[in-house]
Amino acid sequence: MATPCVSCGAAAFYRLFLGGRVSLTRRQGVWKAGAVELQTGTGFQILRLRHTTGVTTKKNVAALRRETYTVDFIKKQIEEFNIGKRHLANMMGEDPETFTQEDIDRAIAYLFPSGLFEKQARPVMKHPEQIFPKQRAIQWGEDGRPFHFLFYTGKQSYYSLMHEAYGKLLEAEKRQNQLQAKGLFSEKTETKDLIGSRWLIKEELEEMLVEKLSDQDYAQFIRLLERLLTLHCGAEEEFVQRFRKSVTIQSKKHLIEPVQYDEQGMAFSTSEGKRKSAKAEAVVYEHGSGRIKVNGIDYLLYFPVTQDREQLMFPFHFLDRLGKHDTTCTVSGGGRSSQAGAIRLAVARALCSFVTEEEVEWMRQAGLLTADPRVRERKKPGQEGARRKFTWKKR
Amino acid sequence: MAAPAGKVARGWSVLALGLRSAVPRLPGLTQVRWSRYSPEYRDPQTDKEYYRKPLAELTEEEKCEQELRKTQLIKAAPAAKTSSVFEDPVISKFINMMMKGGNKVLARSLMTQTLEAVKRKQFEKYHAASAEEQATIERNPYTIFHQALKNCEPVIGLVPILRGGHFYQVPVPLPARRRRFLAMKWMITECREKKHRRTLMPEKLSHELLEAFHNQGPVIKKKHDMHKMAEANRALAHYRWW
Repeated sequence: MATPCVSCGAAAFYRLFLGGRVSLTRRQGVWKAGAVELQTGTGFQILRLRHTTGVTTKKNVAALRRETYTVDFIKKQIEEFNIGKRHLANMMGEDPETFTQEDIDRAIAYLFPSGLFEKQARPVMKHPEQIFPKQRAIQWGEDGRPFHFLFYTGKQSYYSLMHEAYGKLLEAEKRQNQLQAKGLFSEKTETKDLIGSRWLIKEELEEMLVEKLSDQDYAQFIRLLERLLTLHCGAEEEFVQRFRKSVTIQSKKHLIEPVQYDEQGMAFSTSEGKRKSAKAEAVVYEHGSGRIKVNGIDYLLYFPVTQDREQLMFPFHFLDRLGKHDTTCTVSGGGRSSQAGAIRLAVARALCSFVTEEEVEWMRQAGLLTADPRVRERKKPGQEGARRKFTWKKR
Repeated sequence: MAAPAGKVARGWSVLALGLRSAVPRLPGLTQVRWSRYSPEYRDPQTDKEYYRKPLAELTEEEKCEQELRKTQLIKAAPAAKTSSVFEDPVISKFINMMMKGGNKVLARSLMTQTLEAVKRKQFEKYHAASAEEQATIERNPYTIFHQALKNCEPVIGLVPILRGGHFYQVPVPLPARRRRFLAMKWMITECREKKHRRTLMPEKLSHELLEAFHNQGPVIKKKHDMHKMAEANRALAHYRWW
């Protein structure tokens, strides 16, 4: 996040927008106007001018405590947000009932265009749940007695979760023992989709429980869940699924070019490739004898270096289709190696249309379908090159 | 957040575009030795046979690994790598080490000329030899190259360790990649420095490779010297803590 931490000393907030309350906390000391920050402020608030005092005041301990937002405050923010959403919909001439978050984002980007590079510093209007960190309500009643029976462990949500999980484990074992005693236990091992999902990472679990966890706690919890999984009981499935997150299958992300047909009825496929500053476009014909023409010149003459020709051959050789396709490419920019790399990528992408899904996945795992993001690193001031420093002289 | 790869340094901050935007930016600290790829990208597997294996032959582990790879992001294959049967990772590494100033074309041509020279010399010997000896003469330049480098690898190395204000050369077992690197480095340095000005690199290198193949020559001597020094400093071995 681009927001720096709360500076020492007091801070005065000015809220500027649509008649929001102006609350000013004055402190002794020299006012030092800080930079205007665009923060992801509360609901409707967009701009926040931050003044920081000089070093002369004493450290304000109260301000260093994390800001606690009361439940009423959050509720009010949510109301304000909803009202503001309707106003915004009205302003944009859209229907307030069906105004989604994407519409809000687009409207704010239109009304407050920002040229800042840091995306998180731009004006934002989101639901208060996403802006204010989740905090816990007061855990004890008026008489001082805590509500939860595990309050004095310090990590009540975590331990209650462990308690629940272990209870389920015991139940599952008991059920299994009963089935085994009756002789009805069948060794059915349904392979769940273990690859398509992953366990929640520690940060996500912390977010879910609104509590800090240690690495050992997290490891213990995951071990318990895995033990639960091995028991294969249907009732606990959904409990375990709460702690699994699905992982994207990468190969599904690729767009496969449609096959086109030219005048003679020959099928071909076109696609583009890039490498450093070279751009290439390749047309791969379905039936051919393995000729490759680059910018109208035969590849043997265009690429005198063996390494470049090997790169051109790579996608075909990988799929065992060396002499079976004709290719025509145009390439511009870059040097000899980057032109070869660009053509390789273009050819691999074009070949995807003639090949099974499994082979597309193989090509992806062989690194043929990823665009190489490496570019020349710039030279920095105070250094001779990108990495090389000037000769160090002692005096 | 997971620690970013490489050490951080204060000073100039690099605007990272593209795939690296997920890394946390601490004010005043920049990353040195970073990569344009995010840390979750895995190295590509270019071997054709790995993919052509039928499902029945795979072990459980391999099946798991294959399933896992489907969810991982893969880097682009580098420009020197292909699925060709003629490609050899050891030879590629050697070519890169021989390369000067980015002149891969020259380094590769020197390598091919070296292998050709090795083959020619071996064939001459073959044709000049009697029938029994012909069976023992190795003519494949690739096997000669691999065997020569393997013969040059030191088993144990010396590491300077600071104790009480002095650096002591402590004998230390070397990991495999360090051994391979040292063998190649010694070979290349030997051929560059200890040759007559007019002799060409392929000639010298082929000569050295053949000598190393027969466990003779200056590179093997250097390996033995390293072993002797390690043996001499045996008493300091307890300075090692890993």
